[in-house]
Amino acid sequence: MSSLALMRWLEATPERYDAGMRLVTFGRVDRLHEALAAAVPEGARVLEVGCGTGAVTRRLVARGAQVTALDQSPEMLEQARRRLADAPGAPPAWLEQTAAEIDTLPEAAFDAVVMSLCLSEMSRDERSYVLRTALDRLRPGGSLLAADEVIARRPDRRILHALLRGPQWLLGWLIAGSVSQPVPDLAAEVAAAGYGVRRETRWLAGSLALVQAERVS
Amino acid sequence: MSALSALGGLVRDVLQTAFRLAPWPTATGLRVVGSPGPDSPVLLTANYDFTVRHVIRALRGCDVWLVVAPAKGINVWCAAGAGHLTTHQVVTALKTSGVADRVNHRDVILPQLAATGVEGLQVFRRARWRVRFGPVRAADIPDYLATGGVKSDAMRRVEFGLRDRLEMAAVWAAPVSLLVGGLTWVFRPVWALPLALLATILAVAVFLVYDQLPGPRQLLLGAGGALASVAVVAVAGGGLPALAAALLAPFALVALLTFDYAGSTPTEGSGGFDGQDWKIRLDPERCEGVYSCFEVCPEAVYEKHEGSRRVELAHDERCVRCGACVVQCPKDALFFEDGQGGRIEPATIRQFKLNLAGKRTVAVPPPPEEQKSA
Ligand SMILES: C[S@@+](CC[C@H](N)C(=O)[O-])C[C@H]1O[C@@H](n2cnc3c(N)ncnc32)[C@H](O)[C@@H]1O
Ligand code: SF4
Repeated sequence: MSSLALMRWLEATPERYDAGMRLVTFGRVDRLHEALAAAVPEGARVLEVGCGTGAVTRRLVARGAQVTALDQSPEMLEQARRRLADAPGAPPAWLEQTAAEIDTLPEAAFDAVVMSLCLSEMSRDERSYVLRTALDRLRPGGSLLAADEVIARRPDRRILHALLRGPQWLLGWLIAGSVSQPVPDLAAEVAAAGYGVRRETRWLAGSLALVQAERVS
Repeated sequence: MSALSALGGLVRDVLQTAFRLAPWPTATGLRVVGSPGPDSPVLLTANYDFTVRHVIRALRGCDVWLVVAPAKGINVWCAAGAGHLTTHQVVTALKTSGVADRVNHRDVILPQLAATGVEGLQVFRRARWRVRFGPVRAADIPDYLATGGVKSDAMRRVEFGLRDRLEMAAVWAAPVSLLVGGLTWVFRPVWALPLALLATILAVAVFLVYDQLPGPRQLLLGAGGALASVAVVAVAGGGLPALAAALLAPFALVALLTFDYAGSTPTEGSGGFDGQDWKIRLDPERCEGVYSCFEVCPEAVYEKHEGSRRVELAHDERCVRCGACVVQCPKDALFFEDGQGGRIEPATIRQFKLNLAGKRTVAVPPPPEEQKSA
């Protein structure tokens, strides 16, 4: 008596996931992951929220980071574990937890917090809770690197984006099984959570943002 | 409620019944129902628009906090079975909705049908909220609250009455008749409407009589449909191609409509299931009479007896292998036995989620305490 014809798709997501992501971002996701990892100092203690299949985790570990990688999806974590099984570098500590549970991690224990494409899967309440809680996990001067789908600022680009959104949403859902709403203004939410925003980089006609921020005190 | 929003609600009811197989998300977070205070009960449900609206409607006159948890816009039962409404989503909602600041207790009432996915004990360990599984149906919540959380036997059982049957018929009739009608439209427009109609009639027939048919049910129902539709086409004076279509279409349609029949009814375990021959078993040595199984079983498999400190597994023939009792038992006293007498441990059931075909195939790593120490 478990139903839902389309559940198959959702169920089989981890294998489809990387291909799906590439499609949804028109292949930009790799560049984004590179940029994220490059912004983390070598050898840093990193908390990665929503690590998914480990695409960023792998790059962080390759840079000598000690990573605590968290995801609520056991299937995703399984893929990530497999992907990093033979990777050189310190093996990450994997946590099957929901993002809000970072409130149980020690305070000021990390040099960097990384959130790649996961904030857009959360509600506004959850984002705000997770961002504020992550701030306390950072040592003073530590940095937040958050990348996600956002809404473009220029009106013409917004229209373009709105047109592409329907098909993208459908594809993303069928292939990756995740539906996300873009975060309206990621940098503003990061600032509202108490960080000092240092830099914002945009891709994909302004619809993908990388926000670099810092714990000021 | 204004006439316009009532109309909007009606339209959504119709669409969401017809297209229940698709997700329909609504905003997560805290909803205020009536004028609740710090002592008022806290309820939690999945962010499936239909459910949230119906729960709020059923709660008219009550003062409660309703926490809407992220479950990908899927109904409670399906989301819990497939791993989209688990401990994680409940913990997320409890921690981030702000409900903890509004009440002076830590008791949350979940729909009983969430028990296959959400581990009550884990929610307590991770978020310090005590989980109770309330009634199956939203309509029973007011009585349940009024009695301070007494759940009658009827509140625990999943029914498959006329209304539920017609609802499921609509759930399958809508997509199948649209699909068949739409495809036929392309090459034989005159057949589109009759075929869509036939699909609808057969959907109703499937959900009214299928579970009472003996033996090869698909063939029987297909043959019945074929007989009727050939008769209709003959009377209407249809030609040979039309007669052939009338003869064959019912078989194909019945196959399509019963594709996930077991998954669409509460009376049969999921079809195509690697655990189809599993039997629910009780280890009497381990049972300490906690009765969580009794509270969450939708099929009244368990009985409670005065004077005994153990539950009785009284009607194992009714079990649909949902796993709720196994997942919730704090003593690990329940398990499944497969056809070869092998034992499937509670840890495995908690780790593996059902997919559409009822397969428990996805491996899950151990809980975080063990991960941290590792
Ligand atoms: C779109 S994927 C991104 C994965 C990876 N960071 C990347 O960039 O490829 C989002 C991931 O976040 C996880 N996620 C979403 N919401 C979460 C939450 N509330 N807590 C923990 N993980 C979450 C999902 O399970 C999924 O693996
Ligand atoms: S006895 Fe069967 S139907 Fe009842 S809760 Fe357990 S697994 Fe589900």
